[in-house]
Amino acid sequence: MSTVESLRPLLAVAISTVAIPLIVASYRRPNVRDSISVLTALGKFAIVASMLPAVLNGDEFRWSLGTYAPGVEFALRADPLGMLFALLSSLLWVFTAFYAIGYMRGLDEHSQTRFFAAFAGSLAAAVGIAFAENLLTIFVFYELLSVATYPLVAHDETDEARAAGRKYLLYTFFGGGVLVLGGTALVYVLAGTTTFGATAQGLSTADPTLAKAAFAMLAAGFGIKAGLMPAHSWLPDAMVAPTPVSGLLHAVAVVKAGAFGVARVILDVYGPDVVSDLGVGLPLAAVAAFTLLAASVIALRQDHLKRRLAYSTISQLSYIVLGLSLLGPTAITGGLLHIPAHAFMKLTLFFCAGIIHVETHTDYIPEMDGIGKRMPLTMTAFAIAAAGMAGIPLVAGFVSKWFLLVGAVQVNEAIFAVALLVSGVLNIAYFWPIVYGAFFESPDGADEKPLISGPLGGREGPRNIQLLKPAGSHGSHGESSGMGGALAGSSDGRDDPAPLEDGEYAVDRHPSDHAGDSATENDPAVAAESDDSVDVGDDSAGHDEETIADDHDDHADHAHHGGPGPDGWERRRWTGEESTWLLLGPILAVATGALVLGIVPYEAQFLELVEVIVEGVSA
Amino acid sequence: MTDPTVAPVLLIALPIVAAAVVLLAGLRWPRSGWPISLVALVLEGGLAAWLASAVFGDSGRLVHELGAYGRPGENEFAVGIELVADALSATMVGLIALIALSVLAVTRRAGPRGVPFYAAYLMLIGGLMGVSLTGDVFNLFVFLEITGIATYTLVASNRSAPAAVAALKYLIVGTTGASLYLLGVGYLLMATGTLNMADLAATLAGEPSFVDGPMYTDPLVLASFAFIATGLFVKAAIFPLHTWQPGAYDEAPDGVTVAISALVSTIGAYAFLRISLSVFTPAFFEATPIVATVIVTVASVSVVAGSALAVMQSRIKRTFAYSSVSQFGLVVLATGIALHPDAGASAAEAALIGAVIHLVGHAVVKGGLFTAAMGLALDSDARTIDDLAGLGRQSPVLSAAMALLGLTLVGVPPAVGFLGKWYIVIGAMNADLWPVAVVILLSTVLTLAYVARLFEQLYFTPAPSGDEAGAEAPADTSDDHAMAADGGNSADDGTEEHLSDPTPGAPFGVVAVAVGAAILAILLGFAGAEFADALEPFVTEVLGQ
Repeated sequence: MSTVESLRPLLAVAISTVAIPLIVASYRRPNVRDSISVLTALGKFAIVASMLPAVLNGDEFRWSLGTYAPGVEFALRADPLGMLFALLSSLLWVFTAFYAIGYMRGLDEHSQTRFFAAFAGSLAAAVGIAFAENLLTIFVFYELLSVATYPLVAHDETDEARAAGRKYLLYTFFGGGVLVLGGTALVYVLAGTTTFGATAQGLSTADPTLAKAAFAMLAAGFGIKAGLMPAHSWLPDAMVAPTPVSGLLHAVAVVKAGAFGVARVILDVYGPDVVSDLGVGLPLAAVAAFTLLAASVIALRQDHLKRRLAYSTISQLSYIVLGLSLLGPTAITGGLLHIPAHAFMKLTLFFCAGIIHVETHTDYIPEMDGIGKRMPLTMTAFAIAAAGMAGIPLVAGFVSKWFLLVGAVQVNEAIFAVALLVSGVLNIAYFWPIVYGAFFESPDGADEKPLISGPLGGREGPRNIQLLKPAGSHGSHGESSGMGGALAGSSDGRDDPAPLEDGEYAVDRHPSDHAGDSATENDPAVAAESDDSVDVGDDSAGHDEETIADDHDDHADHAHHGGPGPDGWERRRWTGEESTWLLLGPILAVATGALVLGIVPYEAQFLELVEVIVEGVSA
Repeated sequence: MTDPTVAPVLLIALPIVAAAVVLLAGLRWPRSGWPISLVALVLEGGLAAWLASAVFGDSGRLVHELGAYGRPGENEFAVGIELVADALSATMVGLIALIALSVLAVTRRAGPRGVPFYAAYLMLIGGLMGVSLTGDVFNLFVFLEITGIATYTLVASNRSAPAAVAALKYLIVGTTGASLYLLGVGYLLMATGTLNMADLAATLAGEPSFVDGPMYTDPLVLASFAFIATGLFVKAAIFPLHTWQPGAYDEAPDGVTVAISALVSTIGAYAFLRISLSVFTPAFFEATPIVATVIVTVASVSVVAGSALAVMQSRIKRTFAYSSVSQFGLVVLATGIALHPDAGASAAEAALIGAVIHLVGHAVVKGGLFTAAMGLALDSDARTIDDLAGLGRQSPVLSAAMALLGLTLVGVPPAVGFLGKWYIVIGAMNADLWPVAVVILLSTVLTLAYVARLFEQLYFTPAPSGDEAGAEAPADTSDDHAMAADGGNSADDGTEEHLSDPTPGAPFGVVAVAVGAAILAILLGFAGAEFADALEPFVTEVLGQ
């Protein structure tokens, strides 16, 4: 166990910071710009990975700029917990970098330079959070992460996107600039330092009320980014961002930065013993358990695929927080392992949602019946990842959930194990209809899905009233009145431009980042043509005009948007002709990662890393 | 000239003499204002550096007795006026010298120019230097008035009716403030018989043999503090005494706004800090606990009200003006914490360092923001926040500078805005002033409320007219294409010019100063620890009395 002074933690942060001006400077040459993006991702991963063997052996890499404020250094340290997060973010960025190129070019998006620059900045901040040595340094990067991701959320430059961006800034700055900063300052005042691992002593002897207050502020501040209820609502709204953002940032880097912050607070700032003495673990666990159940229930009622995934993310992030706040070593192992496990699975799901959007402009689940014919590989990957979410063995989610269940029972809190199991059932309830619909139904012959689209608590009156409704290609939107409407936040009404209903979000109607040219929407033949032109990004200028027009008129043509054509889904073969490999490759790679993590967790390094962390904490 | 005690005199005299030279030379050579000012202010910068190196180096506190009247006896009052340079005044002197030169660069091409401007501007600098360096409360009043009168002139130099009204309002309110200050000084003189700051501090503490014990609870002294504080709050534009300030900032010529936003209110806050620390001293606040409570309360209200008013504005310069009300509230708040009787040594120290860092940081940031706003106004005639729509693409450099400075203002680390806030919040928490800590933390979100509007307009709102919307969606390869097409369109309606040039309207000086301010704000964030170390001896000395 030794600490090595090294530039490597700094390089890992700096490489993507340096890339930003290069990306901006090469805005006239998209191929150069995108190559820089990919090379940076690879370089970042290489730097982080190069530290892994030593860290697994108990060494740590440290770099310090010197004193930043009295008693606080601006320092980076690659310790096992930091490595877990940094390794994950940088590895998944490699896949996302490729995917984002395919996605942005496929949709012919505007402001791609800003997009890639902000993306690189976000990753720099995420790795900075991972390697920060003390609370103040983590706060610096935490705020920078909020700043860097804002342009990605508001990317669309529409009213919805700006509203989502405002909400995002408000939530994250309240969480960061108010709560985390307040908690950090309080810890500094109480313990005289903010360095991880050095504060527990001071906090255990401090005034318990203040120590609890600091814990509450830190947990809530990081919890806002981790989507803990009731401060979760920024996340579904942030789904207006392009899908690579929703995937890597709002399923991996940003939200996990929140979960990671909670981990730092529990494991390194307070330490499980002090948390247990203060009695603050259980309330946090209760909030997490509530969140994971409530978010799963809400996810049931989301018609928009990305929103359903967002609520699923909220639910799954609470698994992590729950595992950490139960404080037992096995539960902590489960919670920490769920960080990579969920990342791989959820990234797969988001990539699938994105590719469906690029290829067919379909965003709503009822329109996806039979889409397995059109996008077989995509939907297979989706099925695998969804199974993992529900905790079915051989996929990553099972391993972490197993640890969580055992851990919950070990600390005599079996009630939380029950919550986890119920949540697993709910996961199946909201993912299975998608998979089932994709492979076993067709646009013309979709079954009713009472759990998802019927009123909550069952139907009143004769059943055949529902059946009178034609089972059209738009699927069955239930009459989600009353509680359903309020909870679900989305339902019918997409086709009519009437004012927003209570509980409905504007984003449901104007889904995120579609900038598609209307020509390809309903005509499969044209869609096929566009496939060929997608992969190189040699879009014509005329194309642009159309994009702009479409952007501003999407209210008008939204009703014709997405879904299968008049003749149902066209059949594509399993050889990748459903899309471009720039999009399919990353999906298959990440889905494979989820399987590897589920079948051989030790060989995938992550479990080993988690065990090193847990040993270090309990030692 | 090797004795640095002469530097304070030169620092004050040089700009005032130069102002006279500008006026006289202007009679014969009307365009000589700029070169003379440049030479004077470069020399001023050198003097400031000399002073700072002496004060932060080995000399510590420098005292220069004007006219060398000295003191009649060992424990007698000083007869003449003393100029005193300690770490705080040296910091201010450095700041003023730096910003003075920057404003010269800003106004070089963009105006205002001309003999009257340069003469008034040099007078302003002389006044500011005087306030920073004087060790005499009456002399401070004189320099405050010099500063004030120069500022009224500069505000009115726009020659527009609203500017004249704003200047008149400033004249009336500002002079009232100065008069209140003078009343307070009169009371002090009645109570103690001296105007010298060091002698006042000693007398109020009851050191001379002719007073019987500390005079802190003497009604005369209390009334004096009330008058002085109110007068200086007017100068620093603390809510609800800020009413002169938004109009003056908004209506003044852009280049003048940069100067007064960065320096004039700052000097008011400095004077408050100086009088509280060096004349009344922490012992006064300990003896009369209610005073610190009142200061902290007023300042907290100013922080919140200033931000709330800033959010409600539609004009860019007014938004920034109200933002200053909030930020100076924070500086005064920190001063209040530092002097609060509940604050221990470490709390007071942190809060005081925070106050100084925030004072300096705010000057740099606000000056930079007004410079950026000026540049955008020159580029695209953007005066309201809605006018900023889409400028992120038309003026990328200025927009980026404005965005960075805005983030600094919010307190996003690692820039200087955060650092000051960190010290202040640590001070508040150490002093167990929890509601105050909450106000400071919430000020982040309040500031964000108006800064976020800028981002949204700059980067995420398409420009209003149809042809500009084309520039909003240039996808990869067509970037240059769209630019060219856009330029062609705009040439037709003749309002926008050569968009391919990133900043056609704003001269280089404006862009350079805005960018420089942004970079400086970030660098200062990292230099904070060294700066705090350098302030340390001063802080322990003023707080330790």
